[in-house]
Amino acid sequence: MRVVSKREEAPGVRTLKLEFLNQEHHEFFRNHYQTGMFGLYGIFGEGESTFCVASPETRKDYIECTFRQSGRVTSTLAAVDAGDIVTFRGPYGNRFPIEEFEGKNLLFIAGGIALPPTRSVIWSCLDRRDRYRDVTIVYGARTVADLVYKNELDEWKQRDDVNLVLTVDPGGETPDWQDHVGFVPSVLEKVAPSPDNTIAVLCGPPIMIKFTLNALEKLGFSADNVYTTLENRMKCGIGKCGRCNVGSVYICKEGPVFTASEVQAMPQQDL
Amino acid sequence: MTRILLNSRLDDCLSAWRSAGYRVIAPSRSNNLTSFDEVASAADMALDLVLPERTIKDHFFPQTEPLVRYEIKKQQIDTEEMLPPDDKRVFFGVRPCDAAGLDIDDPLFGWDYKDQYWFKRRENSVIVTIACTKADPFCMCTSVNLGPDNPKGSDIMLHPLKDGRGWQMVTLTDRGKALLETVVPMLQEDAAETASLANVPVKFDVEKAMTWLADPANFESHFWKEISQRCIGCGSCTFLCPTCHCFDIQDEGDTYSGIRRKNWDSCSFAMFTMHTSGHNPRNTQSMRWRQRIMHKFNYYRGKFGVNSCSGCGRCTRQCPVDMGITETLQEITNTAK
Ligand SMILES: Cc1cc2nc3c(=O)[nH]c(=O)nc-3n(C[C@H](O)[C@H](O)[C@H](O)COP(=O)(O)OP(=O)(O)OC[C@H]3O[C@@H](n4cnc5c(N)ncnc54)[C@H](O)[C@@H]3O)c2cc1C
Ligand code: SF4
Ligand code: SF4
Ligand code: FES
Repeated sequence: MRVVSKREEAPGVRTLKLEFLNQEHHEFFRNHYQTGMFGLYGIFGEGESTFCVASPETRKDYIECTFRQSGRVTSTLAAVDAGDIVTFRGPYGNRFPIEEFEGKNLLFIAGGIALPPTRSVIWSCLDRRDRYRDVTIVYGARTVADLVYKNELDEWKQRDDVNLVLTVDPGGETPDWQDHVGFVPSVLEKVAPSPDNTIAVLCGPPIMIKFTLNALEKLGFSADNVYTTLENRMKCGIGKCGRCNVGSVYICKEGPVFTASEVQAMPQQDL
Repeated sequence: MTRILLNSRLDDCLSAWRSAGYRVIAPSRSNNLTSFDEVASAADMALDLVLPERTIKDHFFPQTEPLVRYEIKKQQIDTEEMLPPDDKRVFFGVRPCDAAGLDIDDPLFGWDYKDQYWFKRRENSVIVTIACTKADPFCMCTSVNLGPDNPKGSDIMLHPLKDGRGWQMVTLTDRGKALLETVVPMLQEDAAETASLANVPVKFDVEKAMTWLADPANFESHFWKEISQRCIGCGSCTFLCPTCHCFDIQDEGDTYSGIRRKNWDSCSFAMFTMHTSGHNPRNTQSMRWRQRIMHKFNYYRGKFGVNSCSGCGRCTRQCPVDMGITETLQEITNTAK
């Protein structure tokens, strides 16, 4: 795929917008991609990395991925420029069942670099706004600089059909920061809508997920109405290489999207 | 009346198979470890081995296998998929446990996405198995509901004759029948007594062990630490196992040209599941050993209806610290209520 553009989101975090070079591949993607799925993005000579497809299923002319520069492949991907070619395999995995969310309130909760998978669901729903009721987005990062998709955060803030709640960890605020200061779970307890007829979508680092699930439980959310993603190390993405499983569950095929009750049923030591 | 293949006609069969376009692969002593290798004549075959140290898996899911060749030019990447060659192969002198190993792995390589590298080789191979008349103390096929003449995965089964002159030949599949057609003139129609099969004692109660493994309360049992304390995580048990199939994908080359390869990997290695963040779900050797046992005797059965162990005993035979599936399942059987 060809890199159309590259955007700096935060220190070490970039978004690549990719377009298909091959019509047949594009057609396959159009027919198969649904929000929540992931792909393997690669550079020959370096290898492949797993990222979610950060663009929504309502916009399939291109693929966007957002990643943190953390190792070998992501460092090379971070250095590509518009016009360069990267490889893509996918879309793989399961999806958020967003048609089941219709007629309900939506609560999106994301931490740090985990906004990309959430953002794909958010836009997939906002692009069909009339099908859903109240939309609340709670997004937290360590510092103000670490918030990704700053343009879109502004856009959501302007919209009166979206309630955006931003927070940064204590010490991460700037002098002119107007929003919350505090960790996601505690802010959530203050701002969360009623669990009645509400679906929660939660993505973040394992430690944040753990505490946020506790908070949601306290707020009265049923574990069946909370969706999250598991991001185990993957290689093949197609249920062969044997590394992504948690207990008997192949995350690459049966995931990465699970309800909190499905996650609770897995052997916790394997997570 | 059955068909008999005499030892003295084996070389004629080899020639016939070669003229029919087959390569012949058999147990051999030509490498450091005994293994399956292409042979020129019957004299090169090590048919006296109970079991070669390496498995026929090597020829279906090789230790390292090229997937794609790439060449990067300005604004363009040329790629070429590197599927295995279309060569037809006869595997002669396979043991029932190794043949069963192929059968066990078929559903894994076939679910959802069909792995062409595996199935192209499977479709071009004929498995000629020799039923076992001798076993060693590590053999345990009978403990996993297989046995010294189990037909699973074989196209032809050879039963050694009592007088040692050769084998009685039983075809099991169409592929086996087609191979037999090529050597009909070399065979005799004769009644002959076959040698008695190896006596392989049952070492553990696999049903009981599976029940224990299926109980979530035992997942965090102290048992796992105790049983795996001496594992050094070398991975030998997985590499030499006919059913272990985990792999890694790595690029070999530079920014301009090279090959993307699939290489064996092992759940015994700490890096196997390590996230880039440093978080590792299976961060101790006992969790990794538990994964190997659970995968073989619980998860795999749940997904594909069979256990992922054919009872070859290699994981015990070859382990540098004397561990293995046998000991673990014996301990489970002994302690389980
Ligand atoms: C479903 C899913 C969705 C994800 N979505 C995102 C996302 O949207 N954004 C994001 O930033 N991250 C995401 N991640 C995490 C992301 O995949 C990793 O952060 C990323 O792969 C790191 O790649 P790297 O190549 O830079 O790291 P490295 O650790 O350098 O890995 C380089 C490659 O080599 C392999 N490797 C590394 N060390 C070794 C070793 N010692 N031996 C053998 N092989 C090795 C790795 O598996 C990798 O393929 C997601 C993960 C999953 C599973
Ligand atoms: S069980 Fe034995 S062969 Fe297997 S990894 Fe441990 S030490 Fe190596
Ligand atoms: S687990 Fe051990 S005994 Fe079973 S097939 Fe593999 S190497 Fe053989
Ligand atoms: S990533 Fe290979 S089995 Fe899931």
